[in-house]
Amino acid sequence: MEDLGKILNRPKEYQNIDGVGELSMGAFALLYALLLWLQLHTPKTAIWHTMYALFIYWAAMSLLIHFGGKAIKKHITYRRTGYVEYRVQRKRWIALTISLGTAMLISGGLAMAARHHFSISTPFSLFGLVFAAGYIQFALKVHWKWIVFLAMLAGTLTSALLPADALDRMADHSHFGSALSSRALGAFWLTWVVYGGLFLISGIVTFCLYLRHTQAPVQESR
Amino acid sequence: MNKQIRAITEIDRVIHEPGRLMIAALLYAVERSDFLYLQHETGMNKGTLSSHISRLEQAGYVEVVKTYRGKVPQTLLHLNSAGRKAFEEYRRMLKKAL
Repeated sequence: MEDLGKILNRPKEYQNIDGVGELSMGAFALLYALLLWLQLHTPKTAIWHTMYALFIYWAAMSLLIHFGGKAIKKHITYRRTGYVEYRVQRKRWIALTISLGTAMLISGGLAMAARHHFSISTPFSLFGLVFAAGYIQFALKVHWKWIVFLAMLAGTLTSALLPADALDRMADHSHFGSALSSRALGAFWLTWVVYGGLFLISGIVTFCLYLRHTQAPVQESR
Repeated sequence: MNKQIRAITEIDRVIHEPGRLMIAALLYAVERSDFLYLQHETGMNKGTLSSHISRLEQAGYVEVVKTYRGKVPQTLLHLNSAGRKAFEEYRRMLKKAL
């Protein structure tokens, strides 16, 4: 029965057999970090602070990640190891509700911290642990990914222990609101860069290993 | 004890065969997949996999659609509602028997 359970989980694992899941997460985090960097280091009148530019950037980023992943699946994965169409799960709504609730809680906490001028650079650095916890699902299936998980922990600890001046410099002369300190913004930006980079590296390694160990059949027939 | 023995005899033999059980379990977890995916996951050769799929198709558990992906032929497989019910029933009976 245990083996049957393993077989039933195989299609779920197949979703990231080519590393596309990690590549998408890495690309998302790094592109978001780039947007944040542009907002932190450009004058308030710059295009990166306008609503329509933000909308276009988010739309372009989402389209790039969505269709980029689909293109890899269509032109590489499905040709090598086959096509899978997943069932629409009702659990998606639960996940969406939990995400929305968490986002509201974080927003409320941020607003409170800004109002009372709390120092939140360390919580911002430790926020990365949420990503690390999410990564455990990949590490449980592929053992070398525990190295990436350890790198995530090390990155989080390093950024949490970085001197305040270093974090300050990352978001120095920021025009991005006045409610949050440049130290907190620097910690936030660094978290996205560290995790984005690690997800991307993990995705690239997974993708290369997939290409190395699989080959497209000459022609499928039954 | 008698009930347990009876439960074993009532197990669906079409699904019970290891190869077909693997195919049914993989198809149960997805909406549809192609022949290549099943071949990759089960490690069976084309002939063996094809004969198992034919058996499941004859039992009315699997629907097979032959199509093309560009110029390459593609065989799409889908575990229909009868197949899903049979698989769920098989798991229930197996649990009962064990």
